[in-house]
Amino acid sequence: MDLTKMTALELGKMIRAGEISAVEAARTALEQIKKKEPDLHSFVTIDEEGALRQAKAVQKQIEAGVLTGPLAGVPMAVKDNLCTEGLRTTCSSKILEGFVPPYTAQAVCNLQQAGAVILGKTNMDEFAMGSTTETSYVGATKNPWNTAHVPGGSSGGSCAAVAAEECFYALGSDTGGSIRQPSGFCGVTGIKPTYGTVSRYGLIAYGSSLDQVGPIGKDVSDCAAILEVIASYDKKDSTSVKRRDTDFTAALTEDLRGLRIGLPREYFGEGLDREVKEAVLAAARVLKEQGAVVESFDLGLVEYAVPAYYVIASAEASSNLARFDGVKYGHRAAEFEGLHHMYKKSRSEGFGAEVKRRIMLGSFVLSSGYYDAYYLKALRTKALIKQAFDRAFETYDILLGPTAPATAPKLGESLKDPIKMYLGDIYTISANLAGLPGISLPCGTDSRGLPIGLQLIGNCFEEKKLFRAAYGFEKTRPRRTPDQAERSGK
Amino acid sequence: MKHQGTETLERKNVISDETIEYVGILAKLELSEAEKEQAKQDMGRMLDYIDMLNELDTEGVAPMSHIFPVHNVFREDVVENGDESRAMLNNAPERKDGCFKVPKTVE
Amino acid sequence: MSRQYETVIGLEVHVELATKTKIFCGCSTGFGKAPNSHTCPVCTGMPGSLPVLNRQVVEYAAAVGLATGCTITQYCKFDRKNYFYPDNPQNYQISQLYLPICRDGGIEIETAAGKKRVGIHEIHMEEDAGKLIHDEWEDCSLVDYNRSGVPLIEIVSEPDMGSAEEVIAYLDKLRTIIQYLGASDCKLQEGSMRADVNLSVREAGTKELGTRTEMKNLNSFKAIARAIEGERARQIELLEEGKAVIQETRRWDDNKEHSYAMRSKEDAQDYRYFPEPDLPPVVISDEWLQEIREKQPELRTEKLQRYKREYDIPDYDARLLTETKRMADVFEETTALCGLPKKVSNWLMVETLRLQKEQNLEPEEIPFSPENLAKLIRLTEAQVINSTVAKEVFEEMFRHDIDPEAYVKEKGLKTVHDEEALRSCVTQVIAENPQSVADYQGGKEKALGFLVGQTMKAMKGKANPGLVNQLLKELL
Repeated sequence: MDLTKMTALELGKMIRAGEISAVEAARTALEQIKKKEPDLHSFVTIDEEGALRQAKAVQKQIEAGVLTGPLAGVPMAVKDNLCTEGLRTTCSSKILEGFVPPYTAQAVCNLQQAGAVILGKTNMDEFAMGSTTETSYVGATKNPWNTAHVPGGSSGGSCAAVAAEECFYALGSDTGGSIRQPSGFCGVTGIKPTYGTVSRYGLIAYGSSLDQVGPIGKDVSDCAAILEVIASYDKKDSTSVKRRDTDFTAALTEDLRGLRIGLPREYFGEGLDREVKEAVLAAARVLKEQGAVVESFDLGLVEYAVPAYYVIASAEASSNLARFDGVKYGHRAAEFEGLHHMYKKSRSEGFGAEVKRRIMLGSFVLSSGYYDAYYLKALRTKALIKQAFDRAFETYDILLGPTAPATAPKLGESLKDPIKMYLGDIYTISANLAGLPGISLPCGTDSRGLPIGLQLIGNCFEEKKLFRAAYGFEKTRPRRTPDQAERSGK
Repeated sequence: MKHQGTETLERKNVISDETIEYVGILAKLELSEAEKEQAKQDMGRMLDYIDMLNELDTEGVAPMSHIFPVHNVFREDVVENGDESRAMLNNAPERKDGCFKVPKTVE
Repeated sequence: MSRQYETVIGLEVHVELATKTKIFCGCSTGFGKAPNSHTCPVCTGMPGSLPVLNRQVVEYAAAVGLATGCTITQYCKFDRKNYFYPDNPQNYQISQLYLPICRDGGIEIETAAGKKRVGIHEIHMEEDAGKLIHDEWEDCSLVDYNRSGVPLIEIVSEPDMGSAEEVIAYLDKLRTIIQYLGASDCKLQEGSMRADVNLSVREAGTKELGTRTEMKNLNSFKAIARAIEGERARQIELLEEGKAVIQETRRWDDNKEHSYAMRSKEDAQDYRYFPEPDLPPVVISDEWLQEIREKQPELRTEKLQRYKREYDIPDYDARLLTETKRMADVFEETTALCGLPKKVSNWLMVETLRLQKEQNLEPEEIPFSPENLAKLIRLTEAQVINSTVAKEVFEEMFRHDIDPEAYVKEKGLKTVHDEEALRSCVTQVIAENPQSVADYQGGKEKALGFLVGQTMKAMKGKANPGLVNQLLKELL
């Protein structure tokens, strides 16, 4: 039996049943990592020793009956922008080279308490700024379905690692689509929860008002189980929301009768790849056949989300990333003349081009004389976008569309034209501006064999509806992995 | 989408050397001459694109910074932390006498 | 000088609040012995850390606002002020720009020129910065974040003051109010109260304000007064020479009595404020505001009236006793213990003020406890010790915080009431001072006083003076 093929819940069940140990599971994953990493580069840091140590400890607790949860002993990976005490955390940036956090992010703590075994930290676009994982200081991650293509981003490492079966699930973060878009490109399932559902404590901030941590898994059930663990009110995060309805696995029923699904017309217009469009519309038909009410409607304001997002996210980033200055941690230039030169040199050496571009833009839109015209305008636009979604959810339970306008581009294709790259986030970004939950799950492959992502967006705090629809759809098709695609010759 | 062909649009926002210099001071970034030229192009293009927001009538719309009407999230005034200085200083590029060491701040 | 100038002054006063913990984390605000011993990921700006607001900060800030006649902003928010400096670990300070907690207040001040109202434009909450220590030996600076994140309120006045005297009266009044509220100890020397002076001059009679400068690093009332005089003179000189005053921040060097521009080409003074995304707004409901109002302690004006009424104390005395909250507290607590307000008042107004002055102490520095002062008063009232000894014991109590009862016992300072013992002493004094005896008997009343003194001296001050008097008269 090939353990790597198991989902997280399947593996957890075997570990609890004593069929295999947590240590064996960790060894299996570490072997797979050794096999796949030279081609993929999903990880920034692999913690072999730590993983085996954790696995042993977890195994003892399972045997002692202390750990009984569904994820106990299951090996997983953490995006490198989530702090892990004692384990290097770099945001794939030179400026955080060698940074070993003194504390662990709350979402990771929750998983550790549930018996997670952390294999290492996954690669990402530097500070989560990018859609391809190519802006990483340590080099790009490759798409497991075709290594000439990007895995998407910014949680590209996490998604590639799950797709390539290097781990059984992973944590990512999503500021403008950074969980959903790479999940779509890598043929895995990822959910960005409602803002405030998962604590941001320990998540190295990019755009604080938009950032959310979420799970990336092999299927919908895994994601529901992981989210159930990481969703918790945290008094250390003032934007954390107290919720009682986080028993997400309870929503996994195949009954879709009466579910009202809206297809925003703007999500199927100009700019959308034909094959993606067909696959997503086919998925909508499947849901309809299962009893959902599916119809098209005009959402409105879709094209304004991307510019509003870049103003807000860049402004917040320019401030959030000010702390990287060579004083307290991370990179400090070797030679400098005086304090301000030390700041400038350390930061200029430490940040990559895309990060600098956004810090510059963010500083500019907040600067004297431009604040009203850019920043406040973007916040007003955000209010209008939120209103548009509020109206849509008066009629529909969930919205359905593609995760991205196209499948994964080739390596090196995207960075040349930033705005074009930014437009790749057009379908995901609105959910961040409005705080909404969104899930991406595979709904097919294009003619090149690259996965196509189906996105479902729900109203705030209505992840359960997303899980129900996603689960219902998932049940109609087999799960596919990159190596099956290789074998079938596609 | 009608706004995708940004390259073909006429450049409206021309970013001056002074602006790039000024933003560099604000952001504490030192750009090479080539990077400055690139930054001028990038920022100009982005602002042209962002100017699309001006098509929207936002008169009377309140700027929305927080998405949920959550308020009054407090902690009580109780000491929770002990001496964590060692952990806090652990990552410092340079330290001395239990402090973070920096270039002289006064002339 | 041919032209007449008037000075226009506004103040920005920073006050460190007396909370136990910092504004956004659970670190202690106590003075840390070791650098960075009161720090955590939040107040050192570690990546991924997040702020959580200390409720007490809001209560103190609102209390100061209410006591200074401000309108409380019932929906207030925090904003980020962005600037790079090593004492500011995140390179932004969480402060309030757009919706500060208090607005539009004012207090009445009194100077030789009479009474006047100084307006308060706003009060906002913010976090303090860390401390920079300059290492001359290694030519570097060292950062200690123990003060980073200590809660501050910034009280911004209207430009309503015209002289150093008014500024000091305003600061003094503000300090008394805040101390009475218990919101801060307001010590200028220790930096728990800091004032930045915004000053401009204009020709007398003109309406338009001149260009102002902001002066920092003023850590005593005297320094403030000197800085105001110095800056006023500097600006007038510039104008007289036909030069312009530049709007800038200047640092006052009190030793050199001179200010320096704090300019740098790296200081753009463009703080790029925007709403703090990590902190939801603060809503102060009518009920909460009412609670804060009800919790307000008695302020000085009310206390002063009450003392006069309740204890029958003269206005002058009541003013002295209420000048600092600490003095008033000691007065009330001691009175509650011994029931003798006049005696307590006497000890505080005479001996305490004398010793404070002698030892260069701040008015709020009263080193003994009400318990001990009450004990001392009881010892005196019961004639266990006489007034001379009492003064001596008081000095000990002031200097070394001793327990008067134990001290009197240990040192054997009890007044000697034993007639036989005193009689033998008096007999001896009479025998040793024949001249004074002769003087007294010759009608010189003064000589008796000398003999009393000699007896007291022989008894080491411990004799019952009444009894000594009586015995001398009898034996002579």
